[in-house]
Amino acid sequence: MHAPSASISRAQAIVAALLAAVCLVPFAYLAALSVADPWTFPALAPEGWSLARWGRMLTGAGALGPSLSLSLSLSLTVAIASTAAGYVTGKFIAYHPWRRRLLVLAYVPFVMAPVILGVCLMYLFLRMRLAGSVAGVMLAQTMFAYGFSIIFFNAFWSARLKAMEDLVATLGGTTAEAYWRVLLPVSVGMLLICFFQTFLISWFQYGLTLLVGAGKVQTLPLKVYDFVSEANMYYAALASCLLVLPPVALLWVNKRFVFRQGLGTT
Amino acid sequence: MHPSNGRAAADAFLTVRGLRKTFGDEPVLRGVDLRLPAHRTMSVLGRSGSGKTTLLRLIAGLERADAGTVVLGGRSLDGVPARERGAVYLYQESLLFPHLSVRENIAFGLTLGAHRGRDLDGEVEAMIDVLGLTAHADKRPHQLSGGQQQRVAFGRAVILRPKLLLLDEPFANLDAAIRTQMQDLFQRLAAAYQITALFVTHNLKEALLMGDRLAHLRDGILKTYDSRQAFVDDPVVGVRDEMAFWTALREETS
Repeated sequence: MHAPSASISRAQAIVAALLAAVCLVPFAYLAALSVADPWTFPALAPEGWSLARWGRMLTGAGALGPSLSLSLSLSLTVAIASTAAGYVTGKFIAYHPWRRRLLVLAYVPFVMAPVILGVCLMYLFLRMRLAGSVAGVMLAQTMFAYGFSIIFFNAFWSARLKAMEDLVATLGGTTAEAYWRVLLPVSVGMLLICFFQTFLISWFQYGLTLLVGAGKVQTLPLKVYDFVSEANMYYAALASCLLVLPPVALLWVNKRFVFRQGLGTT
Repeated sequence: MHPSNGRAAADAFLTVRGLRKTFGDEPVLRGVDLRLPAHRTMSVLGRSGSGKTTLLRLIAGLERADAGTVVLGGRSLDGVPARERGAVYLYQESLLFPHLSVRENIAFGLTLGAHRGRDLDGEVEAMIDVLGLTAHADKRPHQLSGGQQQRVAFGRAVILRPKLLLLDEPFANLDAAIRTQMQDLFQRLAAAYQITALFVTHNLKEALLMGDRLAHLRDGILKTYDSRQAFVDDPVVGVRDEMAFWTALREETS
């Protein structure tokens, strides 16, 4: 009786391994390519392995280091600003009598593609001298991520949370105590998820960054594209690895601290 | 004025006069008056949508009344924010804070600005003991049953010794057996801590069991009764219909 279930679990294991391979092989290939020295067609394997390119990246060659720091600081700022603003605005809209009408406004950035949004904003950004600047790219990305954050938190603010806030008031607590002692601890999982999502929105943004940044704001996705168009596959692979590492780290943090501790606390 | 009403007004700890509230075009409360002496519980019976919750929210300061006054312990509550009223609201749901243990939930109000400085540990342990939750003190809310959660919610409110407890159908989500236990617990706590309470319910039996003062809210108009007999005799309340049903059933089955 146990044999069929054992064979089913073996089959499940094989399918799971295949799925994992499908997901991981492209990344493994990129990692291999970034340390290949050299790897030319039709060779099945590189002639050698070298960390020289990673070393040059760390010492500033190829401008990958500055692009990495720029992308990190840009995405962290966009994620923090849009998560914090979306948390507060989402609450305001959720309990507003005109909730539906206000929510439509938050959907506006999503109705059009980011590039179209960039084109619409371009005249304004040129007049404000924000085009071609990091501040302009940050603002444009934040506008997009902020809309997402509002929609995300609008669903989170429920009648139950409002009742909890009211309860703290009748127990003698101030608004600040309600936030600090109850609402923020209860929201921590959702805040982390929203931070993660908005970070990714900014991190992988290409079209909007290219347009508003006028090619002067060289984030990692732009660098990857540059290397690809130069047919510099080794540096393109290296830049792609850098592009993947922060999201993987955030995914690990989310898995470790959000899903394990339980979103079910709300 | 009826002599007993005059005496009640003089003794009243909670006095509500002419309370009105309209949402949009719909009047929810149409001039509610009530008087409740200290250390007494008034049951307010009413159907869903009769304005029971609105009445409690106005007294708690969670909604602003269109007109009317609320006086609690001789102090007018006009313009007084909810946190300074000394009226704690208990909901249908226990609304325990999920990131805190049972002990921390019960102690929560004592750690807020308004109550700091009291003997926190001693009072909390005593309350946990009274609630029969000693074995569960370090558990999180999701590890408790519905009845245990509601007991913690009671403890969290009563430990503050509020001037007024506002109970919004707190047992509605519990099954019959747990509901009876909770009714008994409330009566014990009310006696031990000399609680003054407004208890709203749509359950006729519960209204009679929990209140030593009785009122009926219908279409935004509150009618209070001088005695249980007057409450029972009022055909609008439905006690006579209920009694007739059970009498008929007994005759049918005996």
